[in-house]
Amino acid sequence: MTQDTDSGAAGGGFARPQIVTLLTPDAEFAALMQGLWPTSVMQITHFARGRRAIENLFNDPPDLLIVDEDLADMPGLDVVALVKSENVYRQLPVIYVISQEALASGRDWLAAEIDDFVARPLRPAEVRARVLLTLARASRSFDANPLTRLPGNTSIIHRIQELIDRREDFALVYADLDHFKSFNDKYGFSRGDEVLMMTARVIVNTIRSLPGIRSFVGHVGGDDFVFIVPPEVAEDACRRLVATFDGIVPSFYDPEDRERGSIQSTDREGRLRIFPLMAISLAVVFNRDGRLKHYGEASQIAMSLKKKAKENPKSCYVLDQRRGDPPPFAPDFPD
Amino acid sequence: MAEDLRTERKGLILAVKDLPTLPKVLDEVARLVERSDSSTEEVAKLISMDQVLSAKVLKMVNSPIYGFPGRISSIQHALVLLGFNVLRGIIVSTSVFEIMSENMVGLWEHSLGVALASSTVARAAGLRDPEEYSVAGLLHDLGKVVATVQLPELKGEIEQAVKTKDLMYIEAEKEVLGFGHDRINAWLADHWKLPPNIKEGLSYHHKPHLAQLYPDMACAVHIGDFMARVFEYGFGGDDNATYLRPEALKRLKLKPADVERILDHLCEQFLEIADLSFS
Repeated sequence: MTQDTDSGAAGGGFARPQIVTLLTPDAEFAALMQGLWPTSVMQITHFARGRRAIENLFNDPPDLLIVDEDLADMPGLDVVALVKSENVYRQLPVIYVISQEALASGRDWLAAEIDDFVARPLRPAEVRARVLLTLARASRSFDANPLTRLPGNTSIIHRIQELIDRREDFALVYADLDHFKSFNDKYGFSRGDEVLMMTARVIVNTIRSLPGIRSFVGHVGGDDFVFIVPPEVAEDACRRLVATFDGIVPSFYDPEDRERGSIQSTDREGRLRIFPLMAISLAVVFNRDGRLKHYGEASQIAMSLKKKAKENPKSCYVLDQRRGDPPPFAPDFPD
Repeated sequence: MAEDLRTERKGLILAVKDLPTLPKVLDEVARLVERSDSSTEEVAKLISMDQVLSAKVLKMVNSPIYGFPGRISSIQHALVLLGFNVLRGIIVSTSVFEIMSENMVGLWEHSLGVALASSTVARAAGLRDPEEYSVAGLLHDLGKVVATVQLPELKGEIEQAVKTKDLMYIEAEKEVLGFGHDRINAWLADHWKLPPNIKEGLSYHHKPHLAQLYPDMACAVHIGDFMARVFEYGFGGDDNATYLRPEALKRLKLKPADVERILDHLCEQFLEIADLSFS
């Protein structure tokens, strides 16, 4: 079983050339960097001054930023602070280049939002290892869900499209929870997070318990999860998942509600209503014989199946029975 | 007893890092988790016979790292949530007692007996999720094990007091340690973030009439403890039968006829596991 992230970085080769922005007045270092990889692996843009680079960084953020401590026009840490203070650029990993003296005298490492450093004298082997490790680390964590640490949307879409492009058979399962909102409203967000952590764990371990398969689990966000398994085990996985989820979820309610088997909470219109215990709904889309061409088709089919699954208040799964038809017209129901 | 001595002993007890178990179940579980075709149910059934492995599994799944502290009181659920990788980690890092005393083996059998009896009582009383009563029954004497491991020099004194003064084990503990295993259980349950119903069973099985939150749990384990001693299955640390509090039967609405039925049922169950041995 592999639960890999979408990038092949850890395994050695990258899926595409990595874009690196290098800010240093040190021409020798720039030459060293250029010499470490062919441009088919690493495309390095070198700036000797900080200001010129900033607009470029914001318009076209690279995969990695390497900053020298002393730029001619501004301290390197100022560039870092500028980049890291904006939420959209925060995940850009930064390697800081520092002298032995500065390293010895210390820096406020907790305040500087740096991901790694290299210290002069710069040795090619060490620089190479630091750069690769930093890129690999960033690709592992860049869109992980902050709660469950499962891969997020970008990784999910990437993985699905990759399988489609390779014309591999697979089953894509969308999972979400019924009555999660009413649970959250009644018990509060942190109790809701407990349920999401449990759900993530149940999905991951249920799929891992199917021996000898390649699989992928991702967290779209909120109470939406996806997983990918070979088509022939999908139904078994769903059956186990439903049974396990239904067995565990009552433990997350207060004893009285658990006893009653329902909770009182407000619906979307703000009216007080009785809601049953949470259930898990699963919609399974199959890709066989290269039927799907694009990720969007898969999600469109899944959404219409999900509506069907949701009609059942209990935990259940709905399998896509179409064979090679184009995706149906999916009316846009108000949720 | 001096407050600082009590605090010191509590600290020592909660500092338990390496809780050993008996080799028999550990070996069997290890063999089972190495096989690719073993099911969670099989593994759960086996782990549910060993108080130390069960405690470790529940401690781990209820730790804040997993994100739902105090929620899981079933071994089966714990195993699904932890997964086989983590379980393997627990198994390989668990040691066994260097010296396997007869009393330890007896305590393991007693705990299994109480697990069986507590869930039978819960079923007879029509309580929900009887497996959770089994877990509380299994762990009801965990404090004795932890005290033995962490305060080994006092273990002999307790056993001596039981013998020479004809005391119940809990009375001897109070005399030597200054507190009983029920108190130790409460500390451990808090420290390990075990679910509140399990905690209540562990810390009130000697005084079920004082249980506030989950009196059913405390009563079922109390009666279970009594019954395992009546059948003399295993060894709880002393040869006395505990005093069966009538309040416990009353609370669970068990009439003499029900008790008789439970005893008959248990008689069969104890016969079934009579061949099972931890040594």
